[in-house]
Amino acid sequence: MAAGVVTPIGADLESFWSGLLTGVDGITTIERFRVDDLKVRRGGEIKKLAERTADVSCRATRLLTGAADDLLARAPLDADPRRVAIVLGTALGGVEELELALDDPAETSHAARALYDAPAHALAARLGARGPVMTVSTACASGATALGLGADLLRAGTVDRVIAGGYDILCRFVMRGFDALRSLTRERVRPFDRRRSGLLLGEAAALVMMARDGEAPARLGRLLGHASAGDGVHISAPDPGGRGLALAIRQAMAEAGVDGSAIDLVSAHGTATQLNDRVETRVLRDTLGPRAMTVPVHAIKAGLGHTMGAAATLEAIACLLAARHGLIPHTLGFEEPDPECGLDVVAAVPRAARVRVSLSTSLGFGGCNAALVLEGAAA
Amino acid sequence: MSGFAVRALGVVTGWGRGIEALSAARPAASPAVLAVQPSVRTGERLRRATRECLLAVDAVDALLEDGGLSREDIAGPGTALVYVTAAAYGASNRAFIGGGGGALHFPYTAPSAVPAEVAIEFGLHGPYAVLIGGATATIDAMEHARVLLSRGACARALVLAVETFQECADVLARGGVGCDAPLVEAAVAALLVRADAAERGEALERAAPAESAARERVAPPEPAARERAAPAEPAAPERAVPEAPAARERAAPPEPAPPESAAPESAAPERAAPEAPGAREFNDTLACAPLIALASARARGERRIDLRGAWRGREATTTVGVQGPAHPGWREG
Repeated sequence: MAAGVVTPIGADLESFWSGLLTGVDGITTIERFRVDDLKVRRGGEIKKLAERTADVSCRATRLLTGAADDLLARAPLDADPRRVAIVLGTALGGVEELELALDDPAETSHAARALYDAPAHALAARLGARGPVMTVSTACASGATALGLGADLLRAGTVDRVIAGGYDILCRFVMRGFDALRSLTRERVRPFDRRRSGLLLGEAAALVMMARDGEAPARLGRLLGHASAGDGVHISAPDPGGRGLALAIRQAMAEAGVDGSAIDLVSAHGTATQLNDRVETRVLRDTLGPRAMTVPVHAIKAGLGHTMGAAATLEAIACLLAARHGLIPHTLGFEEPDPECGLDVVAAVPRAARVRVSLSTSLGFGGCNAALVLEGAAA
Repeated sequence: MSGFAVRALGVVTGWGRGIEALSAARPAASPAVLAVQPSVRTGERLRRATRECLLAVDAVDALLEDGGLSREDIAGPGTALVYVTAAAYGASNRAFIGGGGGALHFPYTAPSAVPAEVAIEFGLHGPYAVLIGGATATIDAMEHARVLLSRGACARALVLAVETFQECADVLARGGVGCDAPLVEAAVAALLVRADAAERGEALERAAPAESAARERVAPPEPAARERAAPAEPAAPERAVPEAPAARERAAPPEPAPPESAAPESAAPERAAPEAPGAREFNDTLACAPLIALASARARGERRIDLRGAWRGREATTTVGVQGPAHPGWREG
C-alpha cells in the first residue's frame, strides 16, 4: 500500500504527516462560497488547489487529481490498465455540480457531473485505469468501505492494482445541512474532551494504491481485516448501544486474526459530538476488553475538520505512518478528559510508541459503521 | 469462492408492480420518465421518508411475499444489505437545495438514507454497503454479496436497487441521461443465499453468523464469476462497450495497454449497451436493470442466469442460480 493526499493541513503526504505531528490547525474561515447566513462559518477549507484546467474543473475531481499526483509520484502505476480498479468513497459525490447545474438551466457540463460517481470515472479516465470503477457512499464511513472493497477485488483476483480511498469537498450544500442539524461547533473541536461541543467540516482527498502481498511496488503497510455493519436504528444518529460498530470491529479483527490484545493504536472516528464519542468509548470497551483502557487512542479531525468521504482513508494512512515512524500524532483540542470516556487519548504532543497493528473506526449517516485493522511496515 | 442463488425477488417498476407487469413493459411511452409511486403508508415511522425510501420498502415487502418469507426471516445481523443506485438521491438533493433545507430533511439527501430506512424497517443489522452507479454497480453489489456469503460474514444478502428520476429529469437530460429513451423508475430487491445451501434446499437460517468465525485473511485468487471485459483493440471508442467476451479476456495474458486519452470529466454516462444481452432491455432503469433482468429470466424458468450490466463505457457480468420455483404465469411480451 502506498498513499497520496490533499488536505487542509498539507497538500501531500509529507506535509500532512508533519502537520499532524506539529499540530497544524487547518480550520479557517470559509472563503470559497457564501457562509454569511450560517451560524458556523469555519471549516477545513483547502485554500490553494491545483489550477482548474479545461478537462478538470469539478473541485472534487481536482482534489482527487492532486491526491493521485502525490500518490503516483511515490508509487508508479505499473500494472496492465485493464487490471487496475478505482474504488472511491464519498458522502457528497458531485453534489456541488448539481447546485451549479440548477443555477444555470442552459448549462450542460455541470449536469453531466452531478451524479455521485462522476469523479471516480473522471479519475479513472485520467489514470487510464480500465478495470472496475466503483463509488461507495456509506456516508462518513465511505473511505473505509472503499478500502475494504478494494481489498476484496484483489483477493478475488479480479484486478492486480486498486487505487482506493475517499474524497469530499467543503461546499455550501453540506455546510447548510450540518448547520441546520446544529452539529457544528462555534468552539474548537475537542474529541473525547469534557467540553466537546461538536464538529467542523473539512475537505480532502486521500488515495492508496493496493496490491496483493508481494506485488506491492512500495509498501506502507497491509490491510489485515475490514468489515462493515448497519445500525438499523436511526436515519442520522448512531445507535446509542453501538451494536453495528461493535459487530464491524469484531468481524474486522476476526478477519485479521487478532484480538483486542494485539491492537497497538486506535484511530477513533472522534467527531467530538457528545453522542459519537460516548458510543465509540462504549464499543471500544466492549470489543477490546481491558486493552481499551490502555491502548493509545487518537483522533485527527480537530485539525482537518471532518472530511467525510476522505476521513477514514486519511485515518488509515495516519495509522500506517504512525507505525512507520514510531510516533502517534496527538489529538488536537483534547485537554480535559471526559470521565465518561476514560480512554488513553494521546494528548498535547506526539507519543513515541511501537505500533504494529492499528484499529480504525468509522461511523456515518444512515447507521453505516466500518472498521479497518491495519499492519504498518516499519521504515 | 462459492456461487450464489437468488431466494426471492421483489419488483416495483414504472411499468407496474410485480414481475408480471414486465410483460407489458416495452416500448415505453412518450414521457421522459415512467414514474412509480410508493404504496400509501400510514403511521409515524415513515412519515418523513422520501419517495425513494418508500419504494425501497415496497420492494422488500414484495420480496418477502415472493419468497413466502416473514420479516423475522430476514431480521438481525445475519442479513447483509447492499444498496445501489445511480440517481435516487437527486430528488432529495434538489429539494434541499431549492427548499432552503432543514434539519429533518438533510439526512435524506445522503444515498445511505434509503438502506437506512430499510434496515430500520426490517431490523437488518448485518454487513452494509452502498454503491453508486448504473448496471455495473449492481453487478458489483452482487459480487460483494457473494464475497460476504462465501466468507460467512452473513447468512443471506439483500441486494437492493432503487432509481427515481421524475424530480430531476431535466438535469439528467441535460447531463446526457435519458435523452434517447424514457427513464423508468424502479425499486428491486433480491435475496441471495449461498448456492450450496440452496442446492441442499436449506431453509433460511435465522441465526446470525458466528462473529468469531475468522475469515480467510488472504484467499487464494480464484476465477471470479465476474469478469471485466476489456477492449481488445487500441483506440476503442471511449464510451463504447467492449465486445470481447469477458472470460476470454481473463484467460489471455495481459497485453500492452492501448493508449487512452483522458475522457473529459463531463462525459455523459453511457447507458445503452447494444452488444449486451440480458439487462439491455431494462437499461432505462439504470441500476435496477440487472435485477429486473434476473427476475424476468427466473420467470422464464431459467435456473442459471448470466447477467451483464453496462455503464459509462464499462461492463460487468455475473452468474446467479435460482432457488425455488420460477413464475410459470409470466410470459414475455
